[in-house]
Amino acid sequence: MNKYLGNKTAILLFILPALLLYSVVVFYPMLQVFFRSLFDWDGLTPGTFIGLGNYTRLFDDSLFHTSVYNGIVFALVITVAQIAIGTVLAFAVAEAGVRGRKFVRISVFIPVVLSITVVCQLWMAMYNPEYGLINRVFELLGISYRQDWISGSKTAIYALAAVNAWQYMGYHFALLLAAVKSVPEHYMEAARIDGASKFKAHLRITIPLMAETYKFCLIFAITGGLNAFANMYIMTGGGPGTSSYTLTYMMYRSAFRVGEYGYGSASAAFLVIECLIVTLLINRFIARQRIVY
Amino acid sequence: MKKWSLLLSATLLISALTACGANDENEAGASKSASPSASGSAAASESASPSADAQKPVKLKIYAQYSDDDTKLPYDYAVAELKKAMPNVEMELDIQAQDDGQKLKTYAAMGTLPDIFQANLDIINTFKNSNNILQLDEYVDKLGFKDKMYPSTMNTLVTEDGHSYAFPYAGNEVGLLFYNKEIFAANNVQEPKTYADLLAAVKTFKAAGVTPLSMFAKEKWPAVVLYDMFVTRTEPEGILKLDRGEAKASDPAYKQAAEQVVELVKAGLLPKGATSMNYDQAAALFREGKAAMFINGQWEIEDSTKALGDKLGYLYIPASDEAAYEAAKYNFSGGGGPSGYAVSSHAENKEVAAEVAAFLSEKYAEFKYTQRGTPIVATKVDLPVQKEFPPTMKQLSEDIPNMKTTAFAWGLGNAKFKAAIEDASQSLLTGAYSADRFASDVDKAIEQSK
Repeated sequence: MNKYLGNKTAILLFILPALLLYSVVVFYPMLQVFFRSLFDWDGLTPGTFIGLGNYTRLFDDSLFHTSVYNGIVFALVITVAQIAIGTVLAFAVAEAGVRGRKFVRISVFIPVVLSITVVCQLWMAMYNPEYGLINRVFELLGISYRQDWISGSKTAIYALAAVNAWQYMGYHFALLLAAVKSVPEHYMEAARIDGASKFKAHLRITIPLMAETYKFCLIFAITGGLNAFANMYIMTGGGPGTSSYTLTYMMYRSAFRVGEYGYGSASAAFLVIECLIVTLLINRFIARQRIVY
Repeated sequence: MKKWSLLLSATLLISALTACGANDENEAGASKSASPSASGSAAASESASPSADAQKPVKLKIYAQYSDDDTKLPYDYAVAELKKAMPNVEMELDIQAQDDGQKLKTYAAMGTLPDIFQANLDIINTFKNSNNILQLDEYVDKLGFKDKMYPSTMNTLVTEDGHSYAFPYAGNEVGLLFYNKEIFAANNVQEPKTYADLLAAVKTFKAAGVTPLSMFAKEKWPAVVLYDMFVTRTEPEGILKLDRGEAKASDPAYKQAAEQVVELVKAGLLPKGATSMNYDQAAALFREGKAAMFINGQWEIEDSTKALGDKLGYLYIPASDEAAYEAAKYNFSGGGGPSGYAVSSHAENKEVAAEVAAFLSEKYAEFKYTQRGTPIVATKVDLPVQKEFPPTMKQLSEDIPNMKTTAFAWGLGNAKFKAAIEDASQSLLTGAYSADRFASDVDKAIEQSK
């Protein structure tokens, strides 16, 4: 291994293609977003430099406040649901005595590989206030809690977050299951010999040892939530009105519906900074040191 | 290791700068080639005469709607007619995406605009500013296009700046409040003439378990039509005045309309989940006799006549009292704006492209009039009608001479206002969004776009 790491030319050669691709596809467009956010620009003409004008307008825009709020709600709902339920399922499936483990493992992961359009259509049918499955279940149970799920201005964002949480839970579940399985058995055996219950042993030993996986899951879930777009684009069109807008949707509206690419870039730039801060905070506070078993 | 990190950083920076540099060149190139349409005109006059052009084989790329019978059949007909009239012209179709013009704008940004494309007012305004659309005044005169048009549809050819940028085929299409006569009769509900009548009708239908109004409000423009219908009772120009910044949403006519929509929604006007309902779902409710009313453009007449026959009709929008109802009877929401087949200012054969665009528009309208049962076209048609107009369409064609129209959301010229009125009108349909908030949100957008 040291032989390869000592060969600097080989390192450069292997890194260069990915680095070039990253520069052209990610880094350069991101620079452009920040640069263009300083312009009053319609995407076609050269644009007029307005400094921080777009940002001043952004912070004064009620749509921006709604979008940021919705992004946070969406991120919180999917993070809690995906990681909490994913953890429970991962522990259950890792347990040798649990029946139907294979079935759970496959069925929880299936939604991840489905097209998001298919998933949204499926949930739109389930959310239908007249004949949708969810309201029907409430009706069958004799509960009068029947909602206009995605057409209600207060419920829409939660309903959309639930769809995303359901679809990508399998991804987190797979990561967490791999992490559970990679914790050496003898830690658990030692804890059990010392008289710890299974629950306590998992809580005190397995979960702390999975911190690096949790860190990755948290970053993935929170930034994924803040970036949410497809669910609202397909299911509500940001509506009713603007009640399910997120920053990404606001960027889409500003750039492609209104033709204000500069303003759209400002909301995209804010989103990049928001995600960066979240990532830095998670890196700062969770699994700061590399865990070696 | 430090040295290698430095080298990697330098590579990254260089690649980014190289890309930046390339872009600047592109932009410079674009601004050079995107000189005003004057250069286009010069090039057009320098090129050979149309008769000489007519001999040369020409291939033109066109970006046009081609998704259903209403768009495929007229296009195919127009192209077949073109083949007879200009056999040297070959058309290459790029099917238009339903994407708020994103694909077309991307083509423009990349400098790869098709020779001919369908343009609405938003595209015309955007491309006019960036010199991507050819001013067609010269060709309008040369081809005598104005003489071929109905005087009442001249608004679809000429923009506010007095110039033409697209050859229109559609006339002033309108939004209609369709109703099922049988459901009205079964519930002893007369055609409402006043707002109070309409409110009472909604309550009656609701009590009888019939959906009063079916709407595909997942799309936002029908919500704008509903709001605009009430505005036009007192302000014939409706949302057009807001679009031009000549009125405010907090003005009495506009605010009252928002209040009426909220009141009707709270009374049970719409089915549950209306704002997530698509066209198929909403149309099915109406055509299957489960909804008493339905909002759509007049193009709905053909399909709904197939389902409902003589039971189909449309209502004149109720007003505050009968006198106001009679006075505003022919104020319709919707309408046409400058739109149609436009020509790229970068087209290689501008003259031929303009000639073909005008020809296609004319033939497109001809097919719609003679074979699709719609009298609402921009250009005059001399051929006999092959497919009789349905009764509802006959009523509409009788109303056309007296009609005053506004605009559909897609025909608005102010994109910022358009997005705001669409969002706000859809919010009104939830019943949880007040008329005051509507006025304040829309006024803010109007103010920002000044």
